[in-house]
Amino acid sequence: MNRERFIRSRRADWQQFELLLGRLKSTSDSRWTGHDVSELSRLYRSLCYDLSLVQSREWGTRLEAYLNDLVAQGHNCLYRSPPASAVRALDFIIYGFPKLLRSRRQEFAISAALFVIPLVICIVVAIVRPDLAATVAGEEQLRAVVDVYSGDVFGQAAGTYGSQRTYMFGYYVSNNTGIAFRAYTFGILAGIGTCLILLSNGITIGMSTGAVLSAGPPASINYTSFVVTHGAPELTAIVVAGAAGLVLAKGIFIPGSRSRLASLRHHGRESLQLALGAGVMLFFAAVLEGYFSPLPIHPAWKYTAGSLAWLFVGLWLGMSGRERAAA
Amino acid sequence: MGFSSSKSPFPLFLDLGPLYRCCGSTAMTSAATKQVDTRVVVETPEGVDFTFQIAGPGIRMSAWALDMLIKALIVGFVAAIVSIVTTLLEGTSGLQITGGLVLIVSFLMDWFYGSFFEGFRSGQTPGKTYYNLRVVRSNGTPVDLLSATGRNFLRFVDLLPGPWTVALLCMIFTRRLQRLGDLCFDTMVIQEARAPGGRAAGLTKGIEPLLRSECTRRFSVPDRTLAIIERLFAADRIISDARREELAKPLSLSIRRRIGWQPAGPDPANPYKFYQNQADQHTRFLKQVLKTFAVDDMVGIRSADAGTKGANA
Repeated sequence: MNRERFIRSRRADWQQFELLLGRLKSTSDSRWTGHDVSELSRLYRSLCYDLSLVQSREWGTRLEAYLNDLVAQGHNCLYRSPPASAVRALDFIIYGFPKLLRSRRQEFAISAALFVIPLVICIVVAIVRPDLAATVAGEEQLRAVVDVYSGDVFGQAAGTYGSQRTYMFGYYVSNNTGIAFRAYTFGILAGIGTCLILLSNGITIGMSTGAVLSAGPPASINYTSFVVTHGAPELTAIVVAGAAGLVLAKGIFIPGSRSRLASLRHHGRESLQLALGAGVMLFFAAVLEGYFSPLPIHPAWKYTAGSLAWLFVGLWLGMSGRERAAA
Repeated sequence: MGFSSSKSPFPLFLDLGPLYRCCGSTAMTSAATKQVDTRVVVETPEGVDFTFQIAGPGIRMSAWALDMLIKALIVGFVAAIVSIVTTLLEGTSGLQITGGLVLIVSFLMDWFYGSFFEGFRSGQTPGKTYYNLRVVRSNGTPVDLLSATGRNFLRFVDLLPGPWTVALLCMIFTRRLQRLGDLCFDTMVIQEARAPGGRAAGLTKGIEPLLRSECTRRFSVPDRTLAIIERLFAADRIISDARREELAKPLSLSIRRRIGWQPAGPDPANPYKFYQNQADQHTRFLKQVLKTFAVDDMVGIRSADAGTKGANA
């Protein structure tokens, strides 16, 4: 077969393939008919043959480029990853995420230590040696925190409560989740940024907590009843995001039997899933922090809700998905 | 097992060691697979190789800048609409709701704009669509939502400490011009839909074809030769004019012999033109051959009603 005859006989198919591609690209794949799909795969396979023929006979770079583009587009049209589904995402959050986190308990432990140890030390320091805490964290800042919680924190006017809370909700979502995601992405730079974010958050939170606690009631009651509920998902999520960053860093530093790049890819997907799970937790934390924690109700209710929240987070992360592992 | 091992009990040949074996193997692979250009060959399950053109940092930054603009417009639009609605409904307290929503929307734009579009529109944000770029996995298949999310998360680090610094450094050292996010999630950015043209489109503009009467022998050139000429002029092949002329010379001479064509001497009326064309006479002749014998049969295949975008890019 010579070139002209080849083009003449195949051109109709190519045109048909282009038309089909143009049509299928602009419609969602759930609306493709069976005829479309079988036609697409038939034309695609014949096009692959045409391309290899043109390549082997050297029938011109332009013809080759043209067919190459068609094959590339057809390839992208035919071979896809499974579509994202809300059911699978929900399934992941409920079962997959805790399971994944438990399989990474080493990184979780390191991340927790990096956050909790400075937190506890700073609380103790702020209570035992207030002068030292003041030099580290700044006297005005600490006094400002204490002042905020000494007053009538939860006594907002009923009319503006909703809108003011909505603003704070938006702030919590963007600020806290942003910090968590940043802590995660810094993991790829050897995890240094991740550790710094965990440490500095532990220190600042610990200092202000200690200062408020040493101020005594009503500030300490106001403060603890405020943070106890949303603290459960929020503090855990920061640690999880830190752990995700450390998973990335581990991918670079301890590749094991893989090449460093392959190891980074292997750990990359799991770490991202962890970070996204942390993002979901922070969203719920922001809902609680925005709308529940500042409610003007008796602290006992908040302590109850807070214990339930910690219990729930603990059970979810510790137990969920276990029966599936056994099955 | 003893026979298959390289250390035989009766050594007959000097084992030159890993260095020797290395030399052999790298020479083989570097010739066969390593290309110093921005094309990546992908083999399909059908056993066909096709190439992707990798997008460079410049065009990717342009697409990114356009995306930034779109993000800003979306945030501004949401802010305007919500502030108008809430102020009408609630008076001054509506501003706080607006502030909260703007914070949420800009957070979503920061972290999820790229992953949303790349995940659900098979690898194209609006900016990438405009510049005909697409994110694919490095085996050529479309990105999944998770990889799209990951590569856009790591963009935060890629933009550190100044604009695109880490990304550019990383792209220098990778063959597929991948930034950190691409490396970690096994993706690459390709340039799509190169301009399809006729067989000799653009190349032979302003070149006169050869005339049958100028040639004394058979008036034809095989397809394979035409393909070789085309490859010499391929747009992505960067060679100097002088080198191209040098490469063109043997081919040009043998084609002249085949078709029996003699270059005309200097025109007495305008001898200057002859001497001016002398420097690239072989390149010029090959273009004439293309103009004469390569049929422009590709024009019109990518018809306008096919709805494919970027045909004129």
